[in-house]
Amino acid sequence: MSKLNKKLFRDIKYNKSQFINIFIMVFLGVFVFSGIHSYMDGMDISGKNYYESNNLQDIWVSGENFTDDDLSDIKKIDNVKDAERQLSIITELNGYDNVSLETIFIESNNISKFYVLDGEEFNKEKSGVWIDSFLANNLNIKVGDEITFKYQNNELTKKVLGLITTPDHVYFMKDDSAIFPTHKDYGFIYLSINEFPDEYIYDMIKENVVDESKILSTLYGFSDEFWSTATKMVDTKDYIVFNTMIVDIDDTSKIEDTKRDIENNIESALAVTDREASTSYKGYNSEIEEGDTYSGVFTFLFLFIALLSVVTTMNRFVKSQRTQIGTLKALGFKRGKIIWHYVSYGFFISLFASFLGIFVGAVILGSFFLNMEMEYFEVPIYDTIILPIVYILAIMVVILVTFVTYLSCRKILMEPAVDALRVEVPKIKISKFNITTKGIFKNSSISTKWNLRDVFRNKGRSIMAIVGVIGCTMLLVCAFGMLDSMNSYLNWEFEIINNFKYKLVLENDYKDKELNFLKEKYGDSTSKTLGIEIQNGDKKETNVALVNDSNGYLQITGHNREVIELNGDGIYITEKLSKKLGLGIGDEIKWHVFGDDDWYTTKISGLNRDPQSQCLTMTKEFYESLGFKYKPDSIYTNQDMSKIEDLAGVDNIQSIDNLKSGMYAMLNTMKSMIVIFVIVSAILGFVIIYNLGILSFTEKEYQFATLKVLGFKNKQIRDIFEKQNIWLSIIAVILGLPLGFIMTDYIFKEALGDSYDFNAQIKLLTYLIAFIGSMFVSIFVNKVLSKKIDKIDMVTSLKGNE
Amino acid sequence: MEKIVELKNVTKTYLSGEKEFNALNNINLSINKGELVVILGPSGAGKSTLLNLIGGMDTPTNGEIIIAGENISKYNENKLSDYRARNIGFIFQFYNILPTLTVLENVELIKDIINNDVDAKEAIKAVGLEKHMNKFPNQLSGGEQQRVSIARAIAKNPKLLLCDEPTGALDSKTGVEVLKLLKKQCDGNNGENTVIIVTHNSLFADIADTVIRVKNGQIESVIENQNPKNIDDVKW
Repeated sequence: MSKLNKKLFRDIKYNKSQFINIFIMVFLGVFVFSGIHSYMDGMDISGKNYYESNNLQDIWVSGENFTDDDLSDIKKIDNVKDAERQLSIITELNGYDNVSLETIFIESNNISKFYVLDGEEFNKEKSGVWIDSFLANNLNIKVGDEITFKYQNNELTKKVLGLITTPDHVYFMKDDSAIFPTHKDYGFIYLSINEFPDEYIYDMIKENVVDESKILSTLYGFSDEFWSTATKMVDTKDYIVFNTMIVDIDDTSKIEDTKRDIENNIESALAVTDREASTSYKGYNSEIEEGDTYSGVFTFLFLFIALLSVVTTMNRFVKSQRTQIGTLKALGFKRGKIIWHYVSYGFFISLFASFLGIFVGAVILGSFFLNMEMEYFEVPIYDTIILPIVYILAIMVVILVTFVTYLSCRKILMEPAVDALRVEVPKIKISKFNITTKGIFKNSSISTKWNLRDVFRNKGRSIMAIVGVIGCTMLLVCAFGMLDSMNSYLNWEFEIINNFKYKLVLENDYKDKELNFLKEKYGDSTSKTLGIEIQNGDKKETNVALVNDSNGYLQITGHNREVIELNGDGIYITEKLSKKLGLGIGDEIKWHVFGDDDWYTTKISGLNRDPQSQCLTMTKEFYESLGFKYKPDSIYTNQDMSKIEDLAGVDNIQSIDNLKSGMYAMLNTMKSMIVIFVIVSAILGFVIIYNLGILSFTEKEYQFATLKVLGFKNKQIRDIFEKQNIWLSIIAVILGLPLGFIMTDYIFKEALGDSYDFNAQIKLLTYLIAFIGSMFVSIFVNKVLSKKIDKIDMVTSLKGNE
Repeated sequence: MEKIVELKNVTKTYLSGEKEFNALNNINLSINKGELVVILGPSGAGKSTLLNLIGGMDTPTNGEIIIAGENISKYNENKLSDYRARNIGFIFQFYNILPTLTVLENVELIKDIINNDVDAKEAIKAVGLEKHMNKFPNQLSGGEQQRVSIARAIAKNPKLLLCDEPTGALDSKTGVEVLKLLKKQCDGNNGENTVIIVTHNSLFADIADTVIRVKNGQIESVIENQNPKNIDDVKW
């Protein structure tokens, strides 16, 4: 081993705490970057692979009834590769508490193909169900079990043939009021269309015949025998109502043209939408986009702080080796050799730390986040992925650290050897210190003046200490602030807006008498949600309009979350939507209801805010003034419905308490993320403060030794040393608290999708925790460091300075 | 004469790698109050170690060190700090003044540790730096910086002024000025002040009241100079 290499290892050994800190900081920075990126990229690529391999549809077509002709017509449209019809209904699973199933009857399964986790592949001829594997796991349903589900008055009992996932059911929820799927009370099942119950079709025919031929029925009556004979003559297949069509296309760049062709050529098509309007596809992507924002914010914060700190340390280290560099030069070592020797310190340590950070980050942090995320998303195969960008960043970190080391070294090497052999005389600009000899500082103690001047003299180190503590404080504010903000959001959603105990979701085809009965029994507080399209310039945007006749059960909130009354003059739009569309109060908005070709241009009479739905709202009166007949789809009540299971005309009953408990379960998941943030921020804070403290201590050691010689007691010197660090920490924490708020607010505003509108709401207690937490880390590190003062060997320190 | 410094069987052992090394080996020495004492010897002889032990910057491995009647050899860190604050003024070859404090503040620093200090401005005047009171060390020459260090030392009115190569970094003219200041300190306070100078420059022997020669960690000789020369009479 060359002597220089020996020197390198010994220098690292003698300055081990500084080099360990450099290692930890580079490692932590890359660890967080790699962790967040690998989970985010893992989600992205796993999703895309799944969509690709299982052939997610490009277009969804909703309609009232797609015939065989419609199917063949759609397949003939240019750019259409394949199409499949589906009959989709919501059923209730018997034997479980309030579990709904999206029940889909299909003819074939070439689009959105099943991913079978257990059991067999789809076969049209097989009798049985393929069930959502996540739901099945939660309800402990296995292949071979029998399940019974109910639609209106018809019950079906089927054997489970397979546990599956499908690419169009990656992210889905029971209803609008849920924001995260639980996979406990809602899922999907698939059956062959052959399994569609004939009885249901007979009943439907009977009902229609009776309804349509009331006179005949009254005059002659229809005997059971009549029905028995009549139904045998009916081919039930002719009566199956396919309400959805899924379409696979060849060229996605022509998707708009294909959608238009379908709209124009298929009469039964009520709404033609693409992946961007799919809750599943969009929900998954917006989660990845959220990850993008987190990744951006946290990576920036971590890497920025870590790198600044590493760069400061390396620069200081090289400067401390000044006379040795001069000696090597004087001895005749070539410049390149000396440079490589010093560059090696930063290069090897940052190289090793970076690459370890990449792999450990992906394996530990990435997998942790990914597994947590994937509890919500039904993607069967997923793993963290390290994309080249992560390696590129790691290489950039190494290059930066190496480059800074090179610059520091080069500066000294540029000087003549004789100068480099001398200890650098500190440059002190008197003007900088003028402040400490005037005004309030004039009579301050010498230790105060000394510390103030030291801060100004070592600006880089002081700024780094401040930046480090700011980062630590920001992370603490953010971690606890996210929890506060989520709680505040839940309060807004469940205590203010949803001011009811139960919501009765009505069936699509309920009868007037059923509605009247329900209104009489549970009150006339209703609403209706319409699927609409809004004209935004040349584009049409899918959205919803809420017709609110809930008598205060579904409250509308204004800018400051205050409850506002809707007026019947026009339409209300949410503030976020108004900004997106560039519209304000008094402007007009053009929209139409899906399935209705008439467009309406209505005046915006007010703005409201809703945390999770950016939509249009209007009163029943205004809705009816446009010429519509109001037919509610939901009834709100505060009556106890916990014991009621079946009500005619009611599809399902939602309890606000159930929704709340789902939300709070989600908050618990969030808490584990917060623990990670708190730990990482504490480590970051500790390492940075310790590292800069060590630098500060090393640089001042001889001054402290002088004070010791003069007779200053250790405690007095410790007070002087701690004073500066406490000042810097207080300044940093004061700056870090509002910056923490800004960061949290940015995350909520930017990371959440377009449909959300809630900002950071941080409690005083959180600021207090962040203040105490950061100060605790700072004071603790200070105490640890100031112990070194007791160990200063006056003779060695003073000699060392000579 | 009254003794101010007494060393009895003092040994100072350092560990050099795995080997033990005696910087001072069973030394017995006494120094009288009010004298200007010069400790001479080559590099590595143990001069600075001797000075550091007397100054309470280090403790002996064996033996006793009695300063003005106080046995400091068993003092703990805290007591040694007190001892230094009350009794000792130090002057180093490389000044060791604090770069971010002005001349006045460097001297006033003493106020933070003792109360019976001489007025800082008087001390600065005494070393002839009254015009530079508000300057920072890097605005001063080496000789001026050493004078700040002397002012800081005499501001404590110390019983013992310990100087380790005080002129080592100065040119001869400035060195003479510094020596005059040290001599002045020694002669002041009714002959109560004692100044000990460690140096390898044998010319110092001519101006000393007592010359102690140290070699290989032992006292080679102690010579009382009956007729110390005037500083100006020595050819530097």
